[in-house]
Amino acid sequence: MRGRADQDDVDLLETWLEESYARSFRTACLILGNRSDAEEAVQEAFLRAWRFRASLASGAAATPWLYRVVVNTCNSKLRQEIPHRDHRSGEEDLTGVATSGDLPGEVALSRDLARALGDLPVPLRVVVVLRYWADLSEREIATAIGRRPGTVKSRLHEARRLLAAHPSLKSEESAPFRAEPEVLP
Amino acid sequence: MTMVDEQELRERLHRAAGAIVVPEGGPERIIAAAMASVEGRAGTAGSTPASGGGPALPADTAPGSAGTGGPGPSAGRSILPRHARTRRLLVAAAVVLVGAAVTATALSGPGHRPLTSATSASPGVAPSIARTGASGSARTGSVSTGKAASPSTPDLPSGGTPSASAGAPSSGAASTGASSSGSATAPALPSGAVGQSAKVVANGSVDLTVGDGKLQAAVTTLTALATSAGGFVSSSQVQVGGPGPAPEPLTSTATPSSVSGSAGSGSSGTVVLRVPEPAFGSTVAQVQKVGHASSVTTSATDVTGQYVDLQARITALEQSRQQYLTIMSQATAIGDILAVQSQLDTVQSEIEQLQGQLDVLDNQTTYATLTVTLTEAGRRPPPPVHPQSGLTRALHDGVGGFVSGIEWLIRIAGTVLFVLLIAGALAFLGRWAWRANRRRML
Repeated sequence: MRGRADQDDVDLLETWLEESYARSFRTACLILGNRSDAEEAVQEAFLRAWRFRASLASGAAATPWLYRVVVNTCNSKLRQEIPHRDHRSGEEDLTGVATSGDLPGEVALSRDLARALGDLPVPLRVVVVLRYWADLSEREIATAIGRRPGTVKSRLHEARRLLAAHPSLKSEESAPFRAEPEVLP
Repeated sequence: MTMVDEQELRERLHRAAGAIVVPEGGPERIIAAAMASVEGRAGTAGSTPASGGGPALPADTAPGSAGTGGPGPSAGRSILPRHARTRRLLVAAAVVLVGAAVTATALSGPGHRPLTSATSASPGVAPSIARTGASGSARTGSVSTGKAASPSTPDLPSGGTPSASAGAPSSGAASTGASSSGSATAPALPSGAVGQSAKVVANGSVDLTVGDGKLQAAVTTLTALATSAGGFVSSSQVQVGGPGPAPEPLTSTATPSSVSGSAGSGSSGTVVLRVPEPAFGSTVAQVQKVGHASSVTTSATDVTGQYVDLQARITALEQSRQQYLTIMSQATAIGDILAVQSQLDTVQSEIEQLQGQLDVLDNQTTYATLTVTLTEAGRRPPPPVHPQSGLTRALHDGVGGFVSGIEWLIRIAGTVLFVLLIAGALAFLGRWAWRANRRRML
């Protein structure tokens, strides 16, 4: 067992972390809406991925696979852990996450978005984050969440519809987040 | 319906994500946890990796995450063994299921055969009394086992037999004469009879299938058999089938031998043999060789007690008759003579009745009855109206094809159901295993 955990494996993990930790953490944050949960989830996901590193075919791209592990970990966290505990304090919420932006408008903008995202059902939230933040294709998202591309498409559609109808995004008339009326035939 | 613009959404998400501060030291903590889990697993064979996870994750570096030390080990614990255990359990259940099904099939396969063969043809079972009861007596039409015990069956079915066995109606008068003439020697007959071996009424019936056109030959053989055994043919009845070559069967289930189409095709017959009781067994065995015996039933009833009883009653009645005769010879008054005469008549008729029963029993015990039903191999339900014209025939063929198709469907339904069941179980298992494996990998 000790032989397996040689320097190569540690290097592999370091490579993964270097490449994907920040992105994975932000993705988890957007999905979970909570810094500490995201940190836990990402740690768990990387440990899990590293433990099953043998199942990643050599030469295959690690990034989509890691995304998948992260998304699955977030999903299981949302499903099993988070519903069963007390709500955290408000400052831990995603609405208070964005602290780097100096512009108050930026913060407010993030807060509105976070609220809208948090109100989305989890499956829709996941596809939105993966599509518009992680910039995965629909097919890659399908792989990541283990569903068919058609499901991804319909979820994206539904998510965009719900976001457009969300009051915290709708109310800001000046926001670039405008609702576009669809052209009806 | 309104939709959020994709580009705007993307920009805002990117901005929001960019605003998220990535925690410092996160990667280092993960590496430490990974190393700790490896150490823990190497040290304690994976059972208590949490002990190794503790020191690697200092409480101050993971604020507000008391369970942070858990993820690695707990993930391993909760994912691997549970799935492995459940999967093993499911696979074992599936193996047991399939094994049981296969065993059941293998057992039921040969199991059907003896069952059907036992009901259809049983040439080897000769003296099965249990099965004889109704069918044997009904077919022979002779005195059955139940009736033989009761003395109220004066009619003999083989009443028209040749004189060899002294039919019941005629023998009544004969015996009367004998007993009346030799009144002194009357007891001699019963005593001699009682000294005989057990009186047994034997009945049997054999269903024979003979080759096409061989019905007459079979009847001749049977007659010869009866004669050689010291018996006779009590009755024979032969129905010859339709003249001319046998028409082609509508349902093509004919055996190859039946295609000969001889004049006697479709014939059947019944031959009743009476053979001496001692030769009954051997005769039954020989009769079975005449053709293919599809069913053989024999029955035997011991009527010795009844026989002796009849003889005793006859003896007693003859003695009283003797006394009446003595009285009558001494009577002088007309009234006395008439009175005695009427008594004498009563006794006489009673004696004759009993004697008749005794004769019937005698006949039955002396000669066993064997009813042979003959059927030609090619015989089948005669095609009622064989449609010769193209249209009607086509219609008949169509109906026949439809019916046989339905029959075929019903016949294979069980097999198909079984195969579907197995396939479904396997598919479910495979899918489950695939999903479990995929889950495990992530």
